[in-house]
Amino acid sequence: MAIAKAERLMNLALCLLGTRRPLSKRELKESIEAYLEAGNEESFNRMFERDKDDLRELGLVIETVENLDGDAGYLARRDSNRLPAIQLDAEEAAALGLAAKVWQQARLAGAASGALQKLRAAGMPEAEDPYAGGQHSALEPRIPVHEAAFEPLMLACRDRRPVVFEYRKATAARPETRQVEPWTLECWRGHWYLAGWDRDRGAERVFRLSRITGKVRSRAGAFTVEVPDVVTVRETVESWAGETATRSALIKLRAGAGYPLRSRASAVRDLGDGWDELAIPYGHGLDAWLVEFGPDVVVLEPADLRADVVDRLRAVAQG
Amino acid sequence: MATNAIDQTRRMLSLVTYLRERPGAHVDDVARAFGITQDELISDLDVLPMCGTSFRGGDLLDIDTDGERIWWHNPDDVASPLRLAADEATALLVAARAVSTLPGLREGDRQALLRATAKLEAAAGEAAGASSRLSVTFESEGGVFADVDRAISERRRLWLRYYSPARDELTEREVDPIRLFAVGHTYMEAWCRTSEARRTFRLDRVAEIKLLDEPSEPPQIELRDLSEGLVQPAAEDPEVVVEVGPGGRWVAEYYPHDSAEELPGGGLRVTLRTPDPTSLRRLALRLGRDGRIVSPAGLAVSAREAAREALAAYGPHDGRGPDPVA
Repeated sequence: MAIAKAERLMNLALCLLGTRRPLSKRELKESIEAYLEAGNEESFNRMFERDKDDLRELGLVIETVENLDGDAGYLARRDSNRLPAIQLDAEEAAALGLAAKVWQQARLAGAASGALQKLRAAGMPEAEDPYAGGQHSALEPRIPVHEAAFEPLMLACRDRRPVVFEYRKATAARPETRQVEPWTLECWRGHWYLAGWDRDRGAERVFRLSRITGKVRSRAGAFTVEVPDVVTVRETVESWAGETATRSALIKLRAGAGYPLRSRASAVRDLGDGWDELAIPYGHGLDAWLVEFGPDVVVLEPADLRADVVDRLRAVAQG
Repeated sequence: MATNAIDQTRRMLSLVTYLRERPGAHVDDVARAFGITQDELISDLDVLPMCGTSFRGGDLLDIDTDGERIWWHNPDDVASPLRLAADEATALLVAARAVSTLPGLREGDRQALLRATAKLEAAAGEAAGASSRLSVTFESEGGVFADVDRAISERRRLWLRYYSPARDELTEREVDPIRLFAVGHTYMEAWCRTSEARRTFRLDRVAEIKLLDEPSEPPQIELRDLSEGLVQPAAEDPEVVVEVGPGGRWVAEYYPHDSAEELPGGGLRVTLRTPDPTSLRRLALRLGRDGRIVSPAGLAVSAREAAREALAAYGPHDGRGPDPVA
């Protein structure tokens, strides 16, 4: 039976951490059974390179040093791999334990528990069940990640690698190819958004991950535009959602109906005939929202909103 | 959950450090400390004796267990605590920052989280840098949240005035809260005493809330598995078919559905199930010229009638296009 990958990785890690001088590939091969069984030199080389990458993903700092005879040697120095001293009390440990549970994405969930395990090994006290005894908030926050594009984009943001993907705008018939220098990912109201530099448009853009179709591919080369210190994803998305209203609209609303409209009204007046008059913020998308309330809403002003609502109603009335 | 080789390697490296300080550690204690099952721990302990710096020289970890306690007979100093990887620092820091901004979080918890975050940032060093490339904002209604949180810890019943968008109405009900969770929005899972059934309430739809003096006594029920998604239509729910043009593709993003077939011209034919199709009248109205309900026919008719009734309040000269009826 082939030797399990975890065993091979563990052996490589122990060899690299255990040595005081750089070890050549040959020496590592002699010391690790799985490499001897790897078959020919080429498959050993491939396996070795992949394993080194995997260990680096785990946080191991592996140095490549040239030996006297010109061969590459490898080692993971203790001092560059040691966790700096960190003292966490039981309350802090409990808080981190709660936070680590929020990820529903396999890679980040694994990384979060890996971090806790490293901290535990470094002496972090054990927390009791944070929900027992009622001293902590009874909240279970979860961060959903359903978008396939999330993981490749997270890695591209981390490594500052340009990407290319097919993107279908909300109202577009067909997806378009977008070349992007990805800056940050942000989750808002349960959806993930990417902010970055759109190379073809020569401007900053925000993308909704669920509208990315197909695979996210990495591009060679570096970013061409400097990453800004502050990236404002949320403000952009809020304006899409019509939450940055600059004007006000006046509507009639049937008494008892439309609670969400009432809850954001700046003024409400009882008209006495089973109807109320409301002033509400007028931002992008208000027309579509008002139409949802059917005959319980009548738009009074402004005229352009009234016209939009009437057009939408006519489209539905015609079936 | 199946363990992948990366996660297992990461765990075994920490395990070695942990075991070095605790000769004769108990299997159940170690499994709990690492957040894994005893079986997972035993499978790690099966691998570790095959690991070392030289299999030929016999320089392997001499770690063994009798199933109850764990012994490491040749501990060495290879096992110092390892620095955090960029992904590890990111996963923990982003989560901690997100949770610490929840408006309803108790102050003691928030302070502990902020302290831990600062220490973690310092200890992670450079690895903490990448964590600024990911951020999460939870939505939550601070006041309502605090009342629900208090009701749960004091085991008290709640009275709610709750908005149902499906029917555009506010209903009053008494509920026994079970838990709070946040997935984008913040929700309360509760046993509804009015309908004697489990219900999930979105906190931003709670119009009014009161703590009652009656004790909360929800029946023992299995908690919902949140990884499955919040809306889980039942197989027996009626089917609704919606056809949308390119401008209505968002329907597939917002409504959990069984299928979404591409239509010529960039549209979609979305098939979904809902216990109450009349609740989708809003959707039909909202779609306007961007889509239509194909079935059930009654739903399309009721949307059409609602639109006609609404138009009666306007004159023939309203709107941008010509009124086809006038």
